[in-house]
Amino acid sequence: MPFELVQLQPLERGYLRVLRIRSAIGWTILSAIAAAADAILHVRTGVSPGVVAGPVVLLGVLATIVLVPRRWRRWGYAFTDSELHVARGWLTRVHTVVPVSRVQHIDVSQGPIERGAGVAVLSLHTAGTENSLVVLPGISRLRAEAIRDAIRGRISDAPW
Amino acid sequence: MNAPDVSTAGEDRAPRRLDPRTILIRSLQGSPSLVLGLPVFVAWSRGEGFPLGLLLAGTGLLLTVTLFVSWLRWRAFTYRILPGQLVIAHGLIKRTRRSIPAERIQDVSIKQGLLARLFGLAEVRIETGGGEADEGQLDSVSLSEAHRLRQVLRSIRTHGGVARAEGGEEEAAETLLFRMELPRLVYSGVFRFSMVWIAAIFGLLQYADQALGYGWDRWLEMLGLAEQALQSRLDITVVMGLSGFALAFGLLAGIVRTVLRNFGFELTHAEARFRYRRGLFTRTEVVVAKRQIQLGLVERGAVSGRMGWRAFKVQTLGGGDHVSGRQELAPFARPDELAPIIALAGLPPSEPSRLRSVSPWHIVSGVIGFVATPAVTLLAATAFFPLAGLLLATLPVFLAVALLRRRCHRYGLASTSVQVRRGVLTRRDWTIPYGNVQAVSVTRGPVQRLLGVCTVRIDTAGGRGLNRPHVHDIDEADAAAFVGDLIQRVESFRRGTSLSAT
Repeated sequence: MPFELVQLQPLERGYLRVLRIRSAIGWTILSAIAAAADAILHVRTGVSPGVVAGPVVLLGVLATIVLVPRRWRRWGYAFTDSELHVARGWLTRVHTVVPVSRVQHIDVSQGPIERGAGVAVLSLHTAGTENSLVVLPGISRLRAEAIRDAIRGRISDAPW
Repeated sequence: MNAPDVSTAGEDRAPRRLDPRTILIRSLQGSPSLVLGLPVFVAWSRGEGFPLGLLLAGTGLLLTVTLFVSWLRWRAFTYRILPGQLVIAHGLIKRTRRSIPAERIQDVSIKQGLLARLFGLAEVRIETGGGEADEGQLDSVSLSEAHRLRQVLRSIRTHGGVARAEGGEEEAAETLLFRMELPRLVYSGVFRFSMVWIAAIFGLLQYADQALGYGWDRWLEMLGLAEQALQSRLDITVVMGLSGFALAFGLLAGIVRTVLRNFGFELTHAEARFRYRRGLFTRTEVVVAKRQIQLGLVERGAVSGRMGWRAFKVQTLGGGDHVSGRQELAPFARPDELAPIIALAGLPPSEPSRLRSVSPWHIVSGVIGFVATPAVTLLAATAFFPLAGLLLATLPVFLAVALLRRRCHRYGLASTSVQVRRGVLTRRDWTIPYGNVQAVSVTRGPVQRLLGVCTVRIDTAGGRGLNRPHVHDIDEADAAAFVGDLIQRVESFRRGTSLSAT
């Protein structure tokens, strides 16, 4: 039974693509290292090639196809006009609530892969310690800017 | 240009340097291992056949280099008071110039370490409430300069310009809130019984051992002899005597540590600012502004708490000399002594009747975490180290803690603050005014998801380290209601203050 404080919205599908590409890049690098290790091992000890690289490639394919969508599905967010909710995490679920008036400043950023997928990252800075930076990735740029402007309007009339 | 003790307003514009004696202190502080380790090294290397002259020359060279670098750093470090700001410039290769606007300065604390006291120096820390990185530190200036700086900085903060520095104009008279006399100090030390120190002393012994060139095997040999001697008459009296000795030692260690730390503890208050002084060798004087206070924490020790003693701490935004970001305003006091301090700190009183218990699953998760998991680990470990089985004997204690856990854990929303109580042995009561809650997180680990409970973490500014006001294992439905209500109160609090401000 899912427990949520509010109705959460999923992230953009574009972000799933971002996660997939990132995962693919990471696993490709790992596979390359594994292949190199394989080659060395083969020359040195004569073990049949593919002992190291095989499982790594398999794991990579599995992660990119099966695990990444699961991770993506675990994200969720909601913006009511007084607070921002961000939920994430697979093994340990974390649901963070930031009251809008406690936001110190806001960034909207886009990396190259994200630009291609049409998503942006919204970062909220608070004066807290554990949650001094609350990051919400994978929402459309328009949505991110709308939230930013709504929050900006709210914090400008706070005492500091 | 940089005479440290002249103090007229005009000269403040010129950059000043730290007290030259700092160079010596820095080199001494920077190389305690050098000072202490040298005799050891000499003794050892003599045995290896190094010529003494070469050694002395090497040491001399090292000392010269250390002193020279310290001198360069001293020369590169300047500070100046300009209208409306304090400017600190430092760095040999990478020059850094930090200017601290006067209105950002929360306060100026003075700290004197043992070496600094011998030389009549003090470290001045300019607290801005912006965390470690934004703070100014002048280590060290002469004590009179430190006091002068504090007055000048305070006056530019309040009057907006460089005001007359001297004239001895003290701030409004401070009222004494709390003081620890020696009998109470020693008494409080009794409860700080610590076995850790015994380990430390053994460590020291081992060090001294090397210094004296007295081999470890020699100790073992002696131990073996002692054991043989003991075994012949190992009876209950010997065991009792030994454990009695250990107890007495732990007791003494606790008292000594407490006296060193809290000697002459004094808490005063003036103009929405607390000031405490403490310490025998390292004398610390810290100012805590009321507006810096993020939350209050009352600690009730396992034994001393039952006898009616409490400690009161506050968490501040930056500043202080505590790793945890917490400052102890009263280390050992009666509740009726604490009440006025808590009120002056602007913290609402504790309202235990409004607090509720967490889910009964809290006990189960405690049993899993404190008893079952260690038991399995220990049992696995006994397969390799049979001695680990002895640790299994401590498990009943953990079981008791796990069973009592829920009774000692409460949370609730009072009229102006969220309050959390937690702790079986040491009971801690947190009070966090709604205005200081920065964000709230709800986390659910794998076990918690299985049990349908979650942990609510209340994030405040400057909260680091252990013992933060988390509420563990609330029922999911309760947590949703609690967090929703809390956020609403935080928001409406903000709206209330912003309305009254405009």
